Amino acid sequence: MIELTVNGRRHRLDVPGDAPLLHVLRNDLALRGPKYGCGLGECGACAVLIEGRVARACAVSCAAAEGRPIVTLEGLAADGRLDPVQEAFIVEQGAQCGYCLNGMIITIRALLNATPAPDEAAIRHALRYSLCRCGTHVEILRAARRACGLDPAGMSP
Amino acid sequence: MSGFGLLRRHEDAGGYIAVVRPPEQPHGMGAVHRDLSNAPDDVFVVLRADERVVGYCGHVDLGTGIATALAQIVAEEMEVPFSWVRMELGHTGTTPDQGATIASETIQVAAIPLRKAAAQARETLKTLAAASHGVEVCGLHVRDGIVWSGGAEERRRVASVAELLAGRQRIVRLDEGVALKPRAAYRVVGREVPRIDIPDKATGRAVYVHDVRVEGMLHGRVVRPPYHGVEHGRQVGRSLIGVERDSISHLPGIVDVVTIGDFVGVVAEREEQAVAAAEALVIRWRQVGMPDLSDLDAALRSNPSTPRRLLDRGDVDAAIAGAVTRHEADYLWPYQMHASIGPSCAVADWRDGRPLVWSGTQNPHMLRGDLARLVETPEDRIEILRHEAAGCYGRNCADDVCGDALLLSRAVGRPVRVQLSRRQEHVWEPKGAAQLMQVSGALDARGRPVAYAFQTRYPSNVSPLLALVLTRRMDADRPTITQMGDRTSIPPYAYDNARVIVHDTPPIARASWLRGVSAMPNSFAHDSFVDELAALAGADPLAYRLDLLRDERACAMLRALADRAGWVMRHGPRPAIDRTARVLTGRGVGYAVYVHGAFPGVAAAWAAWIADVEVDRLTGVVRVLRVHIAQDAGMMVNPAGVRHQVHGNVVQSVSRVLKEEVTFDATGVTSRDWGTYPILTFAELPDIDVLLMDRPDDPPLGVGESASVPSAAAIANALFDATGVRFRELPLTPARVRPALDRALGVWVGPSEEPVPLPLPLALPRGGGAAGGRPGGTRSLRDLLKLGVVATALVQTASAALPVRPALAPVRRPEAASFDTAAIERGRLLAAAGDCAVCHTAPGGIPNAGGRMMDTPFGQIVTTNLTPDEETGIGRWSFPAFVRAMREGISRDGHHLYPAFPYTSFARMSDADLEALYAYLMTRTAISNAVPATKLAFPYGFRPAMAGWNLLFHDPNPYRPDPSRSAEWNRGAYLVDGPGHCSGCHTPRNGLGAEKSGSAYLAGGEADGWVAPPLGAVSRAPVPWTVEAMVRYLRSGHDAEHGPALGPMAPVVEEMRVLPDEDIRAIAVYLTEGHGRDGNAGPNADDRLSRMALAALREPQGARLFAGSCAACHEGEARHMDGARPDLALNSNLQEDRPDNLIRVILDGAPYAGQRGRGEMPGFRGVLDDRQIASLLRYLRAAHAPGRPGWEGLEGRIAVLRGQSGHAGRGGQ
Repeated sequence: MIELTVNGRRHRLDVPGDAPLLHVLRNDLALRGPKYGCGLGECGACAVLIEGRVARACAVSCAAAEGRPIVTLEGLAADGRLDPVQEAFIVEQGAQCGYCLNGMIITIRALLNATPAPDEAAIRHALRYSLCRCGTHVEILRAARRACGLDPAGMSP
Repeated sequence: MSGFGLLRRHEDAGGYIAVVRPPEQPHGMGAVHRDLSNAPDDVFVVLRADERVVGYCGHVDLGTGIATALAQIVAEEMEVPFSWVRMELGHTGTTPDQGATIASETIQVAAIPLRKAAAQARETLKTLAAASHGVEVCGLHVRDGIVWSGGAEERRRVASVAELLAGRQRIVRLDEGVALKPRAAYRVVGREVPRIDIPDKATGRAVYVHDVRVEGMLHGRVVRPPYHGVEHGRQVGRSLIGVERDSISHLPGIVDVVTIGDFVGVVAEREEQAVAAAEALVIRWRQVGMPDLSDLDAALRSNPSTPRRLLDRGDVDAAIAGAVTRHEADYLWPYQMHASIGPSCAVADWRDGRPLVWSGTQNPHMLRGDLARLVETPEDRIEILRHEAAGCYGRNCADDVCGDALLLSRAVGRPVRVQLSRRQEHVWEPKGAAQLMQVSGALDARGRPVAYAFQTRYPSNVSPLLALVLTRRMDADRPTITQMGDRTSIPPYAYDNARVIVHDTPPIARASWLRGVSAMPNSFAHDSFVDELAALAGADPLAYRLDLLRDERACAMLRALADRAGWVMRHGPRPAIDRTARVLTGRGVGYAVYVHGAFPGVAAAWAAWIADVEVDRLTGVVRVLRVHIAQDAGMMVNPAGVRHQVHGNVVQSVSRVLKEEVTFDATGVTSRDWGTYPILTFAELPDIDVLLMDRPDDPPLGVGESASVPSAAAIANALFDATGVRFRELPLTPARVRPALDRALGVWVGPSEEPVPLPLPLALPRGGGAAGGRPGGTRSLRDLLKLGVVATALVQTASAALPVRPALAPVRRPEAASFDTAAIERGRLLAAAGDCAVCHTAPGGIPNAGGRMMDTPFGQIVTTNLTPDEETGIGRWSFPAFVRAMREGISRDGHHLYPAFPYTSFARMSDADLEALYAYLMTRTAISNAVPATKLAFPYGFRPAMAGWNLLFHDPNPYRPDPSRSAEWNRGAYLVDGPGHCSGCHTPRNGLGAEKSGSAYLAGGEADGWVAPPLGAVSRAPVPWTVEAMVRYLRSGHDAEHGPALGPMAPVVEEMRVLPDEDIRAIAVYLTEGHGRDGNAGPNADDRLSRMALAALREPQGARLFAGSCAACHEGEARHMDGARPDLALNSNLQEDRPDNLIRVILDGAPYAGQRGRGEMPGFRGVLDDRQIASLLRYLRAAHAPGRPGWEGLEGRIAVLRGQSGHAGRGGQ
């Protein structure tokens, strides 16, 4: 038995300890936010927060996540209000197909958890290994700047 | 269920107006002619009494926001609030068959009947109002879902939708001549409207096809055949010899293994079970032959062609023959990928022959036809529910996976979800085809073009559903050929004499349509060539184009763009390139109209680029700094959506032009992940300035895709401007750019005042390292054979000198009560320090019950049962027998033990400690476990020989403290040399398996096939070990400045957990003594960057692999990221003589070893091949161990270690 704490709720699950956290979140807990992208920790589509920091759930086993609070895209909203990062992505239309959107939002949330006032360089650095194939980078950067309290238009890169 | 059946779903509305039309034959790519004689009408819109509107469209939203734009069109024409409208896209059961969603034609083509239907619903509403209120229709208008009479100033409310439709179900046939709103009256269309899908996507509520979960659903995985990424030829469907079902019979949860032809799939209860089964399943395939794509240009030229002459104006040959200047150029476009961020997925439920398929397809109706053929079921019995998927830009594996899921569901009779792996999507998706364009032209004396001859070769069959050919439901021996190479094949410029020939050719690799299909390559050639002509003519490239364009809207757009970008007129190319400048910058222009559909096709939006680029002469890296892009799309339904699409197309096409190229070897496609097929990252994002032409009165044109088309020419032209060198092959990677620039401009050596670590030779050694010499530490077979001779001689003399040892009498197992509890507890800690359980436990077995197979250079040793079982364990061993074994290596029965059992170290233990350890072991639970005897081959199998060995190499005396050292140091030395037996692995052994002495002490050895690095003063760690670092490492299994404990060291750390902090510290004090006397602080940031840059020059492929496959977890500070993020610059494995540890970790990853928060690593066994890993290692060695010689024979070593059984790498699941 594995005990996972996800979005504030504790779950006792009869799953193998080496099962990827991503599969268990999606298949056993019916969550849709974290997405399978590569299974290799390369793209970031599966991102979740573990103890407030971003982790790639495809490359984390359940055993390794046991006893550490996990938050997924579904768990960001609190008291019926969206996380400001989510709001920023909606306002700035930071998605085309939206498959990578989970990873982008979670990454910026983790960045803000670690660095209260990140600058443009920190944002770009944080997103550096989050891949988007539709080319939504412009809107994602605008959303990230907005979420970080910067001018969405930003400076010239 | 299309047609009136669908309307039953609207009966809950309390009334509706539905606008229908008899079905029409679908058109366009892949459309299948259907018998429509008994087909029900298609429904386009339903306006419901509950103030909701549903619009139906057979096209789908591929992540472009088209659902929002279509809803705008419906709201506009129907005169209802935008918020009422919901679009249903692509379900075969409800939406009309409008052909594939392709070529940006949804707005231009598929939206037309939808718009008319919305208008007709509006007109019907007026008719109903007129009849029920006794007024004239002509005096009524609809606004915001209310029917009004009178003009705008004094309008009077007549009736609402709810009032008019209550209890009415009115079905109206679409009147093609229905009155449409004049554009001037638009209020919703043309306004910026937020996408309706984004809030759900930002909160996890959206249900992508990947998220579909059905009651009773099982998980399937497929295993693809060995002709990786090729789908035609006689081997297709005929290569499977058989699967060995037994190979997965030990795995839990397996429901079925399905094979049909070359289709292989497994079905399991849980997803990770299906993944494990697919990986473990042993499948035998026939040898397959693959097309040779090592020379893409040659492969395209030799591919048999059917030429089509699409344009023949004037007399090209005569014009060229009589011209003053002639010019020819060939352009080569690589295979590229959709590379959707989410690999394709589908759920299928066979439902006793009336299948339901949840799909992310681009072409639901076309897919339904394919599935009907696959499972031999009438089309109308199959229903496809279309869900959004990860963005795709043409035909990827979204359809293929539906066939896979359907076959598996049919086999097991339950719903099955199939998720393709990243590797499968990369390898098997129908690629964007490679293309070869051959152009010749000529100029007159004034530099004006007089002739233009263009040929293009396009290899594709648009890719049949993969399951159809794998199962041989469709013959793949001779592929069909498609006429899709003709998009934008006609040049946009007014060449008086012009000829265009398109060579339709069969596929080589699997290829279908990808964004800008054939138009992007064709325009690359057209618009590079016109740039070359302008340069030959000494003309400004923009002005030269304007002279040749007869299209006023194109000219207006180009002028506006030039103005916006501040284009400076030139007179031909720059007179000279500064050869001393490290960074060169340039600006180029490109222009195109994307013409899609069957030739002559339909023009989408006009587009032009002005691109600013820079190239670094040292590294060869090209960056696109800024893109000014103009688009004239006519009236824009949602300008915000258009801008968004243009941004996306600019980013994606910059990625394609700079970075993207599918690679092949003799096994087929070798691009299997984001390292082997890198795409643009945030770090490389250009600044983008979008100019949308304001054309509210012109018809809307397909947007987005057309913005990609001029990209390649604009960027290549800018690179020409910067360097004077033409690049006619893509992508513009450092490996292509730098040698070309070096050839043209000379090797860049920089301004003399700046120290430069060059020149590097042009041809770089494949071995990656400069110095020669064999890698140390690896014993070759030949060495071992030589040693064997010596060993035999020694055995003969030594064993003659010493007798066989006597057995010691067995005793009854001592009572637990006879031992002191304090001694037992101390014994527990000693057992942990000695890691007894690490060796004496079989994988998954009971601790200390023995049975683990250990590979040694002398053969395989089986560890014994250490539990106090009287028959199979050590239960009948007296304490003297135990001491003799520990100190002298003699078993109770008198036979010699091999020094794989480290009695050579245990001999250092004190009597008191041996007593404690004995107490501990004898009070454990006895486990009956008879292990097989170790049998080594001669001469090692002759155990008495060990007596001679001991005479030569063994000192049986206990540890003698060094009075000149601290108690802590002595404690550490005792633990390291005694129970800890660190030297057992970390000291090299001689040819007879004895630890070497003297300076070789702890100088690095081997453990279970892993390199055990040198410790103490001879450690090669780039940052010297400190006591604190060593304590951190031993306590947590990781130290940021040195890396993680992996392989056999991971369980050692785990065992040592129970040791008190003082002991760990004592070990650290002893082991770090003397380290760092000559040490440095590790590479500083600047050194590191320049080393990595230099290494990238030497090994560009390895550098790309590292960036895409490794860097996300291994590079850079990231306080916001979970996990240890080992820094490879500080990892001593890169400094070692042998690369084995790195190879093992790359192949099989690093599983979770119980250290909280440390992180894990997936294995790359299934993703990176031997050549790729070798390249990665050469890069890493060069970057992080610059003073060390390169590793030789890497590929061979990787192949050897790949062949050894690693733990199951679960990379990529």
